[in-house]
Amino acid sequence: MQSKGRAIFHVDMNSFYASVEMAFDPSLRGKPLAICGNPAERKGIVVTSSYEARKKGVRTTMPLWEARRLCPDLLVMRPNFDRYRKASSEMFKLLQEVTPIIQPVSIDEGYMDVTDCSHLGSTLEIAQTLQERILKELDLPCSIGIAPNKFLAKMASDMKKPLGITVLRKRDISSILWPLPIEEMYGVGAKTAEKMRTLGIQTIGELAHKDKYQLKRIFGVNGERLANRANGIDDRPVDPEAVHSFKSIGSSQTLPHDTTDDKELDKLLSQLSKSVEKRMQRKEAIAKGIQLMIRYHDRKTITRSMKLQHFLESADEVFQHAQTLLQKHWNGEPIRLLGVSVFDVAEKKEVGKQLDLFTYEKEAEKEGLYKAIDDLTSKFGKNPFRRVQASTSDEVRTSFQKDFLDDYKK
Amino acid sequence: MKFVIQRDRLLASIQDVMKAISSRTAIPILTGMKIEAKEDGITLTGSDSDISIESFIPKEEDGIVYVEQIEPGSIVLQAKYFPEIVRKVPMNAVEIESDGQLNVTIRSGSAEFKLNGQDADEYPQLPKLHSEDSFELPADLFKNVIKETVFAVSTQETRPLLTGVNVRVQDDQLHFVATDSHRLASRQIPISAAFDFQNVVIPGKSLTELNKILDENQDPVEIRITNNQILFRTKHLYFLSRLLEGNYPDTSRLIPNESKTVLQIDTKELLRSIDRASLLAKENRNNVVKLVTQESGKLEISSNSPEVGRVVEEMSVEEISGEELRISFSAKYMMDALKVIESEQVKIEFTGAMRPFLIRPTDDEDLLQLITPVRTY
Repeated sequence: MQSKGRAIFHVDMNSFYASVEMAFDPSLRGKPLAICGNPAERKGIVVTSSYEARKKGVRTTMPLWEARRLCPDLLVMRPNFDRYRKASSEMFKLLQEVTPIIQPVSIDEGYMDVTDCSHLGSTLEIAQTLQERILKELDLPCSIGIAPNKFLAKMASDMKKPLGITVLRKRDISSILWPLPIEEMYGVGAKTAEKMRTLGIQTIGELAHKDKYQLKRIFGVNGERLANRANGIDDRPVDPEAVHSFKSIGSSQTLPHDTTDDKELDKLLSQLSKSVEKRMQRKEAIAKGIQLMIRYHDRKTITRSMKLQHFLESADEVFQHAQTLLQKHWNGEPIRLLGVSVFDVAEKKEVGKQLDLFTYEKEAEKEGLYKAIDDLTSKFGKNPFRRVQASTSDEVRTSFQKDFLDDYKK
Repeated sequence: MKFVIQRDRLLASIQDVMKAISSRTAIPILTGMKIEAKEDGITLTGSDSDISIESFIPKEEDGIVYVEQIEPGSIVLQAKYFPEIVRKVPMNAVEIESDGQLNVTIRSGSAEFKLNGQDADEYPQLPKLHSEDSFELPADLFKNVIKETVFAVSTQETRPLLTGVNVRVQDDQLHFVATDSHRLASRQIPISAAFDFQNVVIPGKSLTELNKILDENQDPVEIRITNNQILFRTKHLYFLSRLLEGNYPDTSRLIPNESKTVLQIDTKELLRSIDRASLLAKENRNNVVKLVTQESGKLEISSNSPEVGRVVEEMSVEEISGEELRISFSAKYMMDALKVIESEQVKIEFTGAMRPFLIRPTDDEDLLQLITPVRTY
């Protein structure tokens, strides 16, 4: 693994959803704006807010009523995931024009390895040009962190927002990184931070100097990893394929009210199954395992899964198995949220579909077509036809799904 | 209760009865094994309420004495400990005795175990089947029929009926059919039964366990059927299973009656070739191999795993006729089917790449295996 002389960017879009809405409707510009998951229902919490709203104290995950109290003229919008996905895809396309070595990590951030891009100018110039292009062409602000590795780049992009460019050199870490409180470190959550504080670690610098063996004993491998990062060591490459190593595809949704009504639960399961199907189609994937998540009214959450003999691909199959799991494991208490996901995912073209004795005729009808494709494939070497995908209009239920993150390649 | 018994004979019966005992059962006493001593011998009973097995050890048989000093009585012993104790006692003679307080003593040589028993009166009575509908099959034939079909049952609970083997008697033919909806195995044997029945579905697990217990001999197995239970009885064994409820799908319409490509091929050679192809096929998850007819009259069997590699093999066939063919299927299904065919040659009849194909031994019209192919993308 390279460890010296790399130049890594972390590009982080600034209040992405709000910015996309402002680009879409410029009259929103300069106003306090919050994007809220479903304002009418109980999960009305702030997903993102504009910098104007943040100035008034509005924060992500804050309940809507509280945000309104802090900022009475707050404009509230429901999320338009289609819009964000499209903007995200456009943004990654611009990144890709700089280098093919990019790794999207979520809808609004990604890493790039610009080590071999010196023909485009200095790293700082490349970052400035990129930031300007994203702002000019997409009307979206971003911050860029420049560093010799991913961890430092990620920390750097966080330092100046919005529209910042921060260079974090290894020799600067003692003056820039180490004074930061430990919870500001990427990879340290609230729990870990609390534990670290009990060990007398208040800042990133104190972590960097802590005995590694002690950390490893308390935090496992992760302790050692965090200590390395605090010392500016991070060997992970920028991996454009990382997004491909998807392990599961899923969808979950909170019900508008807690329920024990079978029909309502079945209806939700059926919706979730359809959504899983769409996402599998987008990936051209099929899966051999299925998992159901049940969150009860008291937030107690269980997940139950099963492995199948055959690959699942249709919403019907997903629904059928999800329903089996629900019937088997639901304790009868009111349910707040259901989640359906499939795992043990494989690419369709590698696997094929095992036909069913009772239903094969549906496929057999198309036999002539498949044979023609086969013949042409053996003649031309590659399947000259591709299934047309209707993937533009599907509904996205959560913002965390990553299965569209390689759309920019299309 | 008291008796002295030959260890090896006892152990054999224990092993049979253990097949019905599960540590996870809704009725706690069923985690135990019931032992009943009568003047003529010892009966062991185990049950998980789906399957119940009784094994009888006669006092004396063919001039060999198995049990001595019998004082009648009964007790239930923890199945978790009893078999291991019997397996490990030092001498071939084992004395088992219980007192009025359910204390059980097991003695062999100088070793002595004291176990807490449970009251045999609390052990559920096995239902006695009152049914006139019965027939007999020789044990070895029956074992073969089980072997030829039971592997094709579904292991998924989504269609519970398909986890069983469908048994029908019709026109003096006994039919066994199993399918997991992707492949189907069917065997029929002529039988002289004075009755017909249609819709008996025996859990695959019951048949698998029964097959392990039955000896490979010509002794008759009596099969007796009621609405919801089936009994298999041999001289010393009483094997009761619940039946699966519901209407088994009509599978006769699934068997194609025309074909477009027909092969006759050496069973073992084909099995070995598929086995080789599947070495790589395992990696691509669905275990798919591809079979293509060649203009030369040979077969090409291949498999491709992008991350691993590719295997191609050419095979001669005994006979080939009809249209050219390119078909993909699960190597596992093919091997499962071929493994239970004993004849030297098999005939395979295809009706197209998206349709199920039939495999039959060339010397036996009564066994057939049906496999649906895999559609590749």
